[in-house]
Amino acid sequence: MRLGKGFKKVGEFNKNKRLGKKSGRKQADSSSTEYDGDMRNVSRAPLRDSLKANIEHVRRTTGGSPDVVVRKFVVGRNPGVEAAALFVDGLVDDKNVYDFVLEPLLQSNIPPQKSGKDLLDFIENSLVAVSGVERVSDWSEFFSGLMEGSTMLMLDGVSLALKTGTQGGQFRSIEEPTSQLAVRGPREGFTESLRMNTAMVRRYIRNPYLWQESMVIGEATQTRVSVMYIQGIANDKVVEEVRRRLKRIKADSILESGYIEQFIEDKTFTLFPTVYHTERPDIVAANLLEGRIAIFVDGTPFVLVVPALFIQFFHAVEDYYYRFDIASALRFLRVLIFFLSLVAPSAYVAATTFHQEMIPSALVLSLAAQREAVPFPAFIEVLVMEIAFEILREAGVRLPRQIGQAISIVGALVIGQAAVEAGFVSTSTVIVVSITAIASFATPTVAIATSARIIRFVFIVISSMFGFYGLVIGLLFMTLHLCSLRSFGVPYMSPLAPMIPSNAGDTILRKPIWAWKERPRLISQNNIIRQEPYQRPMPPHRTGDTPPADTGDKSPANTGGTPPTKTMEKTPASSGDDKGENGE
Amino acid sequence: MIGKWRRLVVVLICTAVLPGCWSQNELNDLALVFAIGLDLTEKGEYEMSVQVVNPGNVAGATQRGGGAGGVPYTVISATGDSPMEANLKMSLKLSRILYYGHANLVVIGESLARKGVAHALDALERNSEFRTTSRVVIARGQSAKETLKVLTPIAKVSSNQIQSMLSHSQTLWGHTVEIDVWELFHDIYSTGVNSVVSGINIVGNRADGAKQTNVQSTEPEARLVLDGLGVFKQGKLDYWIPTNGTRGVLWIMNKVRQTNITVAWQGKPEAIGYHIVRTNVSVRPHMKNGKPSIKIRVEALGDILETLVPVNLADADQINRIEKLIEHSIWKELTAAVRNMKERKTDVFGFGEQFERNYPKDWRKLEADWFSVHFPQLDVSVEVNAIIRTAGLRIKPFKRTVELGG
Amino acid sequence: MEQTKINTRQLFILAIMFELGSSAVIPVGTSAMQDVWLVVLIGLVLGMALFLVYYRLSQYYPGDVLTAYTERIVGVWPGRVLAVIYIVYFLYLTARVLRNFGELLLMFAYMETPLIILNAIMMLTVIYAIYKGIEVVARTGELYIIGQALATAAGFALVIMSGIMNLNLLKPVLQAGWGQIWKTAATETTFIPFGEMIVFTMLFPLVNRPERTGRTLLAAMLISGLILAAITTLNVTVLGAETVARSVFPLLDTVRRIEVARFLERFDAFFMIVLIVGGFFKASVYFYAAVEGTVRLFRMRKQHRLVYPLGLLVLIISLATASNFAEHLKEGLQISTMYLHIPLQVVVPIVLLCIAAFRRRKAERKDHSGDKSDS
Repeated sequence: MRLGKGFKKVGEFNKNKRLGKKSGRKQADSSSTEYDGDMRNVSRAPLRDSLKANIEHVRRTTGGSPDVVVRKFVVGRNPGVEAAALFVDGLVDDKNVYDFVLEPLLQSNIPPQKSGKDLLDFIENSLVAVSGVERVSDWSEFFSGLMEGSTMLMLDGVSLALKTGTQGGQFRSIEEPTSQLAVRGPREGFTESLRMNTAMVRRYIRNPYLWQESMVIGEATQTRVSVMYIQGIANDKVVEEVRRRLKRIKADSILESGYIEQFIEDKTFTLFPTVYHTERPDIVAANLLEGRIAIFVDGTPFVLVVPALFIQFFHAVEDYYYRFDIASALRFLRVLIFFLSLVAPSAYVAATTFHQEMIPSALVLSLAAQREAVPFPAFIEVLVMEIAFEILREAGVRLPRQIGQAISIVGALVIGQAAVEAGFVSTSTVIVVSITAIASFATPTVAIATSARIIRFVFIVISSMFGFYGLVIGLLFMTLHLCSLRSFGVPYMSPLAPMIPSNAGDTILRKPIWAWKERPRLISQNNIIRQEPYQRPMPPHRTGDTPPADTGDKSPANTGGTPPTKTMEKTPASSGDDKGENGE
Repeated sequence: MIGKWRRLVVVLICTAVLPGCWSQNELNDLALVFAIGLDLTEKGEYEMSVQVVNPGNVAGATQRGGGAGGVPYTVISATGDSPMEANLKMSLKLSRILYYGHANLVVIGESLARKGVAHALDALERNSEFRTTSRVVIARGQSAKETLKVLTPIAKVSSNQIQSMLSHSQTLWGHTVEIDVWELFHDIYSTGVNSVVSGINIVGNRADGAKQTNVQSTEPEARLVLDGLGVFKQGKLDYWIPTNGTRGVLWIMNKVRQTNITVAWQGKPEAIGYHIVRTNVSVRPHMKNGKPSIKIRVEALGDILETLVPVNLADADQINRIEKLIEHSIWKELTAAVRNMKERKTDVFGFGEQFERNYPKDWRKLEADWFSVHFPQLDVSVEVNAIIRTAGLRIKPFKRTVELGG
Repeated sequence: MEQTKINTRQLFILAIMFELGSSAVIPVGTSAMQDVWLVVLIGLVLGMALFLVYYRLSQYYPGDVLTAYTERIVGVWPGRVLAVIYIVYFLYLTARVLRNFGELLLMFAYMETPLIILNAIMMLTVIYAIYKGIEVVARTGELYIIGQALATAAGFALVIMSGIMNLNLLKPVLQAGWGQIWKTAATETTFIPFGEMIVFTMLFPLVNRPERTGRTLLAAMLISGLILAAITTLNVTVLGAETVARSVFPLLDTVRRIEVARFLERFDAFFMIVLIVGGFFKASVYFYAAVEGTVRLFRMRKQHRLVYPLGLLVLIISLATASNFAEHLKEGLQISTMYLHIPLQVVVPIVLLCIAAFRRRKAERKDHSGDKSDS
């Protein structure tokens, strides 16, 4: 938002951008008024010698904001050098600032130095007791440091400033995540602090090869973004691609990971998400171990995980903590539910308007009896009811939690019943629409549920025009579209299509944990072996209870099993294709 | 590029708004036909009647029969030179589109059956809306239209009642057969078999059958009753087998599932009742020197469920004797049935078809006068094996022999 | 030019869906009455022999498709003419598939809807599919094969459970005599559906393990042939040979008779769904072959521009080829066999094979004579 300097038309703004020109403001270069600049281009001019001038510049750039604290003091005695510490109140950890930055500087036994520069060296090397100490020489780095919560130290006569890492401030404490609840499993959820989030993940993966790369995205917001991956498991090419896409973003504001998601996703004009987001560190850790890459954005507890596959959106974290039978059954149920929420209303419309012979004779009488009283055709009824449900759902989201639940239930029951009795809709339509709504709530990930909501309407329209034929064609279109999507190079529908049998044990049905031998092949591509074979729990060997002699540390951890004679070593998929195609 | 897509979207939206989703029909625009009746008028025209259900009075009605709603269905009929023409004429009398997808019953009037059903059935078989799994019955003693009009006490729609009657009666009693349009049509064109269709009759005051008062008393005035088996020759109804003779015929056709046999004991007729739980029949053709013969083997398994005389059912010898009596009884019934069919020269059992399938070369010689010559002279032997499984919950008779009446 | 690959599993699945796509529906070989299963099996064997011809031919020119190596065999201009003929052949067959399905839907579910609409909808899907690329179709196939397999298995199970099968109807065996059987096999079942595998020669370069292509496709033919024989046997045992011979969609009649426990009945619509999916894959493969042939022939770079006009063309052909269903059937079973299938599926490939083998041998002899002269 550019206020105050005239309102440019959007086209012109874009035109200038496209042509690579900066906005029509005065250019910020060192030859002219170097103090100017604007939100998107903080000036790159160097600091000056005079402390007073520097402080003045800071005051002017920040508009005299009272939370930018300037603490002037004198360093050393005989002679003392004038100095100032600048920080933003609220962004810094007070203890660090006062105890570990200011206090050492305010001592009286600082030996005199030859020059200001030497004094600065001395301060940097021997006095300041915090980490993240750096020298900055130009204003953009200065402000970047200041605005992230570092304390900037300036000495009179030195055109450098010292940036000390004193970030802190109040953050939300670690709470249970609200969006992905689990009955069994850790109850930690991410918070808005990037550092805390990465630390939480590090607690799950205490391995030095969990690498992190940091960058700043967003011209105005200067948001810190961190990319984490496990070196050696994650596909280097995908990491490179992520890096490339993130660096390409040149936007004003990055307020939430959703912004990043929309900038880096593979395909915008699709109804399906290709980037997964989560609030739970255990999910992020599990995905990292499979070779995926996590993107943390400061200021939001939602962390992005790429590459994302369709089947991932049907996985709940508890599936892995429970045993395989219940996990498989629940997953299967979820897929069924998703499918139901997608086609139930359209199937109802198709059956009652085109294919009445499909309905058993007894049921068709009931349906016909109900429809007698209703003036609208089935299609309109279903459409109206669906829209009504969407309205109810939106209303339920906005209301405070306690009232929201009551209103949803009351709304659904009462309004539905009243509508039936008034003769607007028939009971069977209410049932169908309710089942659909419940099914859409049961979809584990909101992203997919949203896709289903929209597609459902399209299907209703198609099936009202062409019956089951239309529905099948619609499903074909949807499947074709799904199969053509890729998420960072990996086909969206793998490991179902292309079918990779070794990975297919974690799609709808889940293999027991001792059978997870390999990581998802298309995502990690190297270091595929996840665990040793023969992990299956077995009772102790019959003859005596002493386990057989160890033949090396490759034996399984349990007793009694025959040690493997050879380990499984797979070479990385050799398709040679850079996007990790259907290697087989 | 974007412009092209925009235009395409606009075009697609327009097509959605265009009138006529051609094959679409709202449920309440349809007249759901649950049964079809076909009759022959005196002028030789076809009269087609349909039982159109009134859904509001059938489902969702809180009280049963005679309540606020009215009759559960209406019978509408029209005449024409062919079933199709009659069908079209019915639209003059109806406010909705006739929908045959649920027409599960076809009632054919006797006069039409005697003239020949092939023409009528052809229209039904060819039509894609009508399902050939619908059941067929012949209206006996009254027209199909009158049959359709009778209101039934237990099922609201008489079509459902008749279908259930057919199905359960065949399963439990074995005296009637449940045949669908497809089978009938198939058999008509087969050269080695004659078809049989169950007949249906109205017992009681026919005229009152169509009124709602019929079902408002505990004993309805007019009732639908399955009555006998109609035998078809070349698509025409030839004669009726009365109810007491149908079982033998159906047994050989392997259509009997459960039934009852009673045998005489110690001079008392019908003294022991044997209930057959499972029965299986195998019919095997044999050809010796150009002479055809059929061997029929019957297996029956059942329990003794009724004894009117004191008989010790723990004694294996007794059981054996009873078994022999039962086998003899079945044998008598089946051979009588075969003899009757032979006299009438109608091969309802499909013996001819058996020869066609197993001895095709010989069949070609026999085919021409199968019904007139070879079938009546066919050598048919019946072998029965009946097993008494249990005797209910009681084994020995009462110690005191008391002269009990009854 | 396609650069993506499909793996052997996807190829296998595509081939099965292709073979069973319309043949499960349209009666083939029914003039053999109850021996139709035998006719199907014989057609399978002959078809596999034909396929070996195609395969051997393509092995001489790995990485090329049929329309490309005709040029190299018979010379540039005759080869190109031949390529155009094959492209038109594939287009025509796509149109036939489309018409078959449109007619089926029209006849039993959508009587009032104009045929053009039904065909257009299917064609739109096919256009979209090929626009996205054949590997997308292959992946979709992997997803749908599960559903199709389950539905087929369930269908068989339900028919058996309904007790409507009568094995006696298969007798007498060989009533029509061997002569009739061979005649039917040679004229009907060899070409549809087994001879249609010629279209897969256009997919050979896409397979990521070329040495396994032959085996995979032969296995697919075998399995789909067996399933087809099973389906036709089912039809005969349920409906009887005569009804099968006179009905347009015997499998539909069979499915309609399913009645288990008075509850599991009326499955026509599910049958229709299975059918549409099968038809879609069949049409897609044909259409892909036509598009690919054209792209290669005219050395085009942007394949997707071609998809819409060719699609429209197919739609128009599907409507124009016959004015009523009887004509369509006659064209398909009699006329096209004589004028299209025999020359294009049998004669031309065998001739091409001979010429190619001859040329290869000549080239080898030239090499060897060169060597010999050295020693």
